[in-house]
Amino acid sequence: MMNGKQYIESLRKLKPRIYFMGRKIESVADDPVLAPHVNAAAMTYELAFDPRYEDIITATSHLTGEKINRFTHIHQSTEDLVKKVRMLRLLGQKTGSCFQRCVGCDAINALYITSYDIDKKYGTEYHERVKEYIKYVQKEDLMPAGAMTDVKGDRSKRPSQQVDKDLYVRIVEKREDGIIVRGAKAHITGAVNSHEIIVMPTRALEADEKEYAVAFAVPVDAEGVTMIFGRQTNDLRRLDGDVDCGNAKYATVGGEALIIFEDVFVPWERVFMCGEYDFASQLVEVFATFHRQNYGGCKVGVADVLIGATANVAEMQGIAKAPHVIDKITEMIHLAETCWCCSLACSYEGYKTPSGAYMPNPLLANVTKLNITRFPYEWSRLAQDVTGGIVITLPSEKDYRNPETRKLIDKYLKGVADVPTEHRIRMIRLVENLSIGAELPESMHGAGSPQAQKIMIARRSNLEMKKEMAKIIAGIKPDEHFKRIRGISEEEFFSKLK
Amino acid sequence: MRIGIKYCGGCNESYKREMIEEILKRELKNCQFFYSNNADLIVCISGCKKGCAAEKVSGNFVHFDEWVGENKVLTKIKTKLSELLRS
Ligand SMILES: Cc1cc2nc3c(=O)[nH]c(=O)nc-3n(C[C@H](O)[C@H](O)[C@H](O)COP(=O)(O)OP(=O)(O)OC[C@H]3O[C@@H](n4cnc5c(N)ncnc54)[C@H](O)[C@@H]3O)c2cc1C
Repeated sequence: MMNGKQYIESLRKLKPRIYFMGRKIESVADDPVLAPHVNAAAMTYELAFDPRYEDIITATSHLTGEKINRFTHIHQSTEDLVKKVRMLRLLGQKTGSCFQRCVGCDAINALYITSYDIDKKYGTEYHERVKEYIKYVQKEDLMPAGAMTDVKGDRSKRPSQQVDKDLYVRIVEKREDGIIVRGAKAHITGAVNSHEIIVMPTRALEADEKEYAVAFAVPVDAEGVTMIFGRQTNDLRRLDGDVDCGNAKYATVGGEALIIFEDVFVPWERVFMCGEYDFASQLVEVFATFHRQNYGGCKVGVADVLIGATANVAEMQGIAKAPHVIDKITEMIHLAETCWCCSLACSYEGYKTPSGAYMPNPLLANVTKLNITRFPYEWSRLAQDVTGGIVITLPSEKDYRNPETRKLIDKYLKGVADVPTEHRIRMIRLVENLSIGAELPESMHGAGSPQAQKIMIARRSNLEMKKEMAKIIAGIKPDEHFKRIRGISEEEFFSKLK
Repeated sequence: MRIGIKYCGGCNESYKREMIEEILKRELKNCQFFYSNNADLIVCISGCKKGCAAEKVSGNFVHFDEWVGENKVLTKIKTKLSELLRS
């Protein structure tokens, strides 16, 4: 396993082609805008060596028997699934941000499960390839990005109906030694500071869309791969110092990139699906289930930090004992713990797949994520309410560092007498960072937009059974238990009343 | 006496678990401390009542799953240590 420092060092050895703000990034590890995201990912490595946390950050590989980082583990029990969400909450608390590494973890687990089923139907050899790849990832302790979301062009059209065929990643050539792929994946978390990219299809496909049924892995610096790092609200505040960005060490959200594959060669040993269009929806659903499981872990860890920040601000501004403030902070805790319950529940209700790996309960995992598309907006609203208008009107760090204005800010932006003004400013900036910027749309769309969860919930909830239950209670269908309880039929029982 | 310290993963601790380790190291100067199960006594430190630290531990161990105060921490350990010395 690598520790945090070794992970950062490992990035310096790679040469990915990355652009940001019109310039080429020379070193992901050292660029001031990207470095905080790197630090957040590094935490997933560092805690594996801390005896206080290693029990959940490490696991034993079922493939090699070696001790590995849990982010490279294939879940072997419901206990593993639970430990995964425990690990995510912990890392949310330690970084107050997205630490990015869950996507690759979910990708290897989804591939492990699906490749087994593909092989069973078609006699292919994907599962062995996936296993070999996972062994490599475990041994080197790599961070693969998980790239599922295609750019999709006109959303009303299928991949094969798009005017430009490259708007979904596709196979453009099959060769003796491998395949050539073309297309782009959008919003890919942690891609710029990953070692590898795992690509999977983004949706169910039909028989005439075999070219889009492709899953594979390539190194981030493979020839033909270009990444354009996305802008975030307030991202360049990182160049101004360590106060205005609110979370200078670990940034906010994962740091997402548009990844373009311009005729990239993938050797066969890294191809995990190639034309099996009828398994695309399974791969998407399994991946989505794992990924939606996560959000009541990581987001709740981040919410823990926001709740703490809000409570600190309340103290610093002299309102901590006001009943409505206590109520609002309690409400934030209630919302966060509700999401935690969801993540735990879908993990404890997980099950063994034919591959031997475990996956969470899909219905409950989708419920988890659907709550996350709502509750963070509410807990952020409460944080902003308690913090006051200052959450968006604070003077800049530069004005605070300027001796001319610093004394004025120190005097007039003081809260309670015994707290330095700078502490109050730092805490308010943290509330701003966690409740206003990229955090919220990430809750909305990361792991799929709300409608995607609604579709899965509708499909998995067995509405017919619920209709049947209602008919029995309403006396439209016979109730076998009532007859046993009373010894006579419902008709006879109620005829006495008529 | 070799004392092994075994922490749970600390996902949502209800108290600062390190306090227990600090007390033991400060007060039990004659003992050696390790982060290992290979010890005369294992001190399991869980952050909450779920008690993950003690889940797969057998043999001689004591388990903390809440903050009980410095005195009680020491009493619990010392009682166990004298039990071990007697046996
Ligand atoms: C911060 C962040 C991190 C992310 N990280 C990753 C990652 O690491 N890996 C990855 O693969 N993806 C990642 N994603 C992508 C995420 O899964 C997508 O954002 C999500 O699936 C929605 O896709 P979209 O953004 O293209 O929005 P769209 O699909 O354009 O959705 C916008 C709206 O259009 C609706 N819509 C879309 N298609 C249709 C249709 N056919 N009919 C009717 N309505 C439609 C949607 O329901 C939604 O309301 C990330 C996203 C974010 C915001």
